Amino acid sequence: MSARGVVLAGVGGQGVVLASAVLAEAALQSGFEVKQSEVHGMAQRGGAVVSHIRYGDTVASPIVPLATADVLAGFEWAEALRWLPYLAPGGALVVDARRIVPPGACRDHRRWGVPYPPLDPTSIAGRTGAVVLIDATGIAGTLGNVKAANSVVMGAVSRFLDLSDAAWEKAIARFVPPRTVDLNIEAFHAGQQAETLDPADIPELGLDPLPERHYHIDVNEAWCKDCGICPSICPEFCLALDDAHRLVVVDEEACTGCRLCEVLCPDFAIRIVTPVGAQGGAR
Amino acid sequence: MTIVDIRPHLREWAMPHVLCAGCAHGIVGRAFLVATDRAGIDPDRMVVVAGIGCSSRLVGYLDFCTLHATHGRAPAFATGVKLARPELTVAVFSGDGDGLAIGGNHLIHAARRNIDLTVVLFNNEIYGMTGGQVAPTTQRGAIASTTPRGNTEPAFDSVALMIGAGASFVARASASEPFTLERIFTEALTHRGFAFVEVLSDCPTYFGRYNRLGDGPEMLAWLTRQDSRVAEPLAAKRVVDHLPIPEAPPGLDLGVLHREERPVFTGRRSG
Repeated sequence: MSARGVVLAGVGGQGVVLASAVLAEAALQSGFEVKQSEVHGMAQRGGAVVSHIRYGDTVASPIVPLATADVLAGFEWAEALRWLPYLAPGGALVVDARRIVPPGACRDHRRWGVPYPPLDPTSIAGRTGAVVLIDATGIAGTLGNVKAANSVVMGAVSRFLDLSDAAWEKAIARFVPPRTVDLNIEAFHAGQQAETLDPADIPELGLDPLPERHYHIDVNEAWCKDCGICPSICPEFCLALDDAHRLVVVDEEACTGCRLCEVLCPDFAIRIVTPVGAQGGAR
Repeated sequence: MTIVDIRPHLREWAMPHVLCAGCAHGIVGRAFLVATDRAGIDPDRMVVVAGIGCSSRLVGYLDFCTLHATHGRAPAFATGVKLARPELTVAVFSGDGDGLAIGGNHLIHAARRNIDLTVVLFNNEIYGMTGGQVAPTTQRGAIASTTPRGNTEPAFDSVALMIGAGASFVARASASEPFTLERIFTEALTHRGFAFVEVLSDCPTYFGRYNRLGDGPEMLAWLTRQDSRVAEPLAAKRVVDHLPIPEAPPGLDLGVLHREERPVFTGRRSG
């Protein structure tokens, strides 16, 4: 058998690495040669948590080449899209309907302006074979612990792999915390049987837009000595020194009200003012 | 935590203050004002006594009862105020030259007696007001107007000195960390007994210029690197294995370094 490739992708804390260890162990139990490779770190800040597993009679490289994965499992919608190029044409896509918006996608610190892709598998029609869209987190929650969502996803993944249930169960028992073995095996079987959701039934990403907040950077020009401290520490680059080395407020709109300039101004010259009645109180 | 507007606590008619552009003393003054507010001190019952020097000039802009005393003798004046009017909260603003050189004796004896004062010692490692002369806190090797080829003397560790002299609350903080300053000042002001806070500040005009440390923004970053929690881990980090690394920079411990309950001197016989 030529090597089979599986790519698992998610966000830090979802159990991607644990799930890949379970899959690798299940393949080992089934007598295959297995290689596994993972990248993890900073997914919640826009980095990647992805694991490649290849198994077969002989496996040379632990990395699944582009467009060759038999199965891509996305523990989160945007991560599934991100790793889509690894999926072989006609390969199976398993996705948890969960959506986790990375802070890096939040382009506007005062409001939620989020370029998060709509959860719509038809948008990638033609790129994949079977698509299994399940509410793994919801199923795991019903079983008693949302942390078992990774086992639900792996249950759905197992439909496309030739590994026996016994091998999977043995692998799960070896890697999950002892007290949660039964729960995870139950979650695994629930994932095997979970029905594919209709995207139309999935609610919109329920982000409440934050109320707009506007701050006024009140600079007392008579007191300011243009020392340059506030432009050097403003995280949003609201303040700058002009060509004449005079302090100017260049972008008050971008101010998030962090007050670093106010507390680090040695001349008592800056005050961040929230307009009366606005969110954050008057001052 | 509520945001404190410090402008009502300033003598606005006297502003802007005389300190140079980029001098961090104002950051410390601001944090002190926030702390007096947080500690719930009535501004009319707050006394700030200062000696001579840049740091001491700051007192003139604070709308409290203020007393501008003679060089180094601020703790002595403050002792008098506190003994005569024990219901007042009394603080001292002093510089490193003012407090540790000419006023060293007054400082250690106030600490020994554990008088209920809060002493803020602004340490910018130099005599700023008089033209950048070497101070007892100037780092070895640093350049001052009187040590043009580098200071050969070791520097005072004021925190060790004050713990030895008997201060019952001793802390060190950096002007580059204003929120920590606010917290430490609040604790110092509410401590019963002699509270001493050394604040690492800067002098871009003399120390920064002579030692090529840059202006205000660069010196704030330099202050951050004095912190032993920053300086030592950075020095321990070996980037290239085969190159010898220079000696670890002498990081300073920051935070509240000593706290005890000790009888407070009130000038009265007990019992």
